[in-house]
Amino acid sequence: MPRTVYRRPGERVFCFLLVVFSVYLFWQAYGISGFSELSSPGAFPLATSATMVIAACVVFVNTLKLPEAEGVRFFYHCFPPIVGIVMALILIFAIMLESLGFILSSFFFLFVGIQFLYQKSVLTTLTITVLSLVVVYIIFRLVFQVVLPEGIVPEREILAAIEQFWRG
Amino acid sequence: MDALSYFAISWLSPELLGLTALGTFLGIYVGAIPGLSVTMAVSILISFTFSWDVNYALCLMVGVFMGGVYGGSRTAILLNIPGAPSAIATALDGYPLAKKGLAGEAIGLSTIMSVVGGFVGIFVLSIAAPSISEFALTFQPRDYMMLGILGIMLVGSLSGGSLAKGIFAGAFGLLIGTVGLDPMTAEERFTFGVVELWDGINPVAVMIGLFGISEALHQLHHMNKAVVKQKISRIIPKWMDVKKYLPLSLQSSFIGVIVGALPGTGGDIAALMAYDHAKRITKKPEVEFGKGAKEGLIAPEAANNAAVGGAYIPMLTLGIPGDAVTAVFIGALFIHGLNPGPLLMVEQPHMFWFTVGNLTLANIFVLIFGLTGIKLFSKIVECPKGILIPLIFLLSVVGAYAINNSVIDIWWMLAFGVFGYFMRQYGFPVGPVILGVILSSLTDENWRRAILSERGSLTDLFSNLLSSPLSTVLLFAIVFILVSQSPIWTRWIKPNLLRSKTN
Repeated sequence: MPRTVYRRPGERVFCFLLVVFSVYLFWQAYGISGFSELSSPGAFPLATSATMVIAACVVFVNTLKLPEAEGVRFFYHCFPPIVGIVMALILIFAIMLESLGFILSSFFFLFVGIQFLYQKSVLTTLTITVLSLVVVYIIFRLVFQVVLPEGIVPEREILAAIEQFWRG
Repeated sequence: MDALSYFAISWLSPELLGLTALGTFLGIYVGAIPGLSVTMAVSILISFTFSWDVNYALCLMVGVFMGGVYGGSRTAILLNIPGAPSAIATALDGYPLAKKGLAGEAIGLSTIMSVVGGFVGIFVLSIAAPSISEFALTFQPRDYMMLGILGIMLVGSLSGGSLAKGIFAGAFGLLIGTVGLDPMTAEERFTFGVVELWDGINPVAVMIGLFGISEALHQLHHMNKAVVKQKISRIIPKWMDVKKYLPLSLQSSFIGVIVGALPGTGGDIAALMAYDHAKRITKKPEVEFGKGAKEGLIAPEAANNAAVGGAYIPMLTLGIPGDAVTAVFIGALFIHGLNPGPLLMVEQPHMFWFTVGNLTLANIFVLIFGLTGIKLFSKIVECPKGILIPLIFLLSVVGAYAINNSVIDIWWMLAFGVFGYFMRQYGFPVGPVILGVILSSLTDENWRRAILSERGSLTDLFSNLLSSPLSTVLLFAIVFILVSQSPIWTRWIKPNLLRSKTN
């Protein structure tokens, strides 16, 4: 990672938030057992949060001293729309995972995600999505036996039916 | 004799043999595909394999580790994109070799030397670990506490950014590890009255967030990188070459083991140091360094694979991870109910020899897969990021869910993913966070044991500390790292030292 010689947009705010966050955690750590004993349950959290406060302050002050980077924009270089959109997409996926079930929610997530990032025809995306979903399902659900949320798809019945079919 | 039978466990069982092979194979691709990292793969694998028998899970993960360290070199040679940080030095001379049409030979040679390095690392591990763990039995709680802090500080100071950022990340990790009920008194710490937080934040969710989600989000910045194709000719290297460069590869391997065994330093630093060493000792290189010198390819490759064995030494004997990958590995061992540390060798000697045997096996598979399947390889590595990244997200989300079948872990993972993304953006290293999470309970418990045994008196603690040579060395190492990176050192002490030397 290259050393940041210039201050990137948003860096000041981020470092300031870290200071606030550390102070809040320090206050929480103080609430555990105060400054009672060196061996109390709160002693170690107090020490770590105090370290965080000091380190965050040092970083914040150092950041203030840095010259601002020229031609670098927050919404272009640090947090481009693509990252925000993908974050939102993952969030929707995570929310839908339990109610819709693994198969449906993953299908939608992969389809939209690949269409958005790979930008090929809908048919190509659809093929890739179905293929990768099948591979992931076989590896993780059937081989690794990982429990995945079923949601509204009656997965077990379908699997049982397929088994029945093969047994004739 | 017992050791030998434990050593052979994974060699004799077809399932374990198969899983090691599969792991190594996967590892090579994970290491090679830019955007996938070993840390990421092992974090995700933990969540999928935690219900397995420990031997099965370990075989797969050891394979991924060994294969991954090697795999990074392939893309470094073919595409000039190091697939893993430990392959950065490999690209310096590997890519110029490929441009000359010698890609196949470069891959073959790097494979052989990686395997040599791997064996040296494993050999040193098997010799050194038993005596180190015997020595470690004499460690006091305060020594463990200081080792924990030292490890985090080394990772923090060596990962490139400023020491303050590294220390912040490490302390944050330590704090995350304390969330939940205190193991000694069952007092609530940072639970905010939420019962779900009593068990703490799942370290695997933190790992997947920091290494899976945040890394993949970061990759979104570089979606359109053109890929240059290389022609691959003969892979099996000439015997003459192997013989000629063997001494150098052995030297580099020893550098690799030692650097790998130090807490805080891993394959990437080992590789760069070995590259530097090769540059210094090669008086008349056939080709200049940086323009395709074979020495410059061999040294880092031998060193970074040797560092794997080295990294296992502090991990198995002290329970202290050397870098982010080994931290994730220790997390995996904990989940499977193993307690890495000096007692592991006494209580479960079979685990140690099993691991050594398994590493050896994985190393052999690196040789096999390294010299075959290049055609398939160049196809897979060209997998577009537009497909790869959504898949990483899918596996991360499903992986986080699979740990406890709970959605809460997904939220934690996402939160740490987004936080980690911004940390990376502003030059904060994420490695120390995970090291902190893993080392938190060790440091906390040993601190309290140390201070309790001195009846709460800090003066007694320090006077006893300074009367023990080991503790004194550790304390000075910590103080030295702090001072050497502070403005006092760079502005005042260092110029004075240099001045006295030049006078």
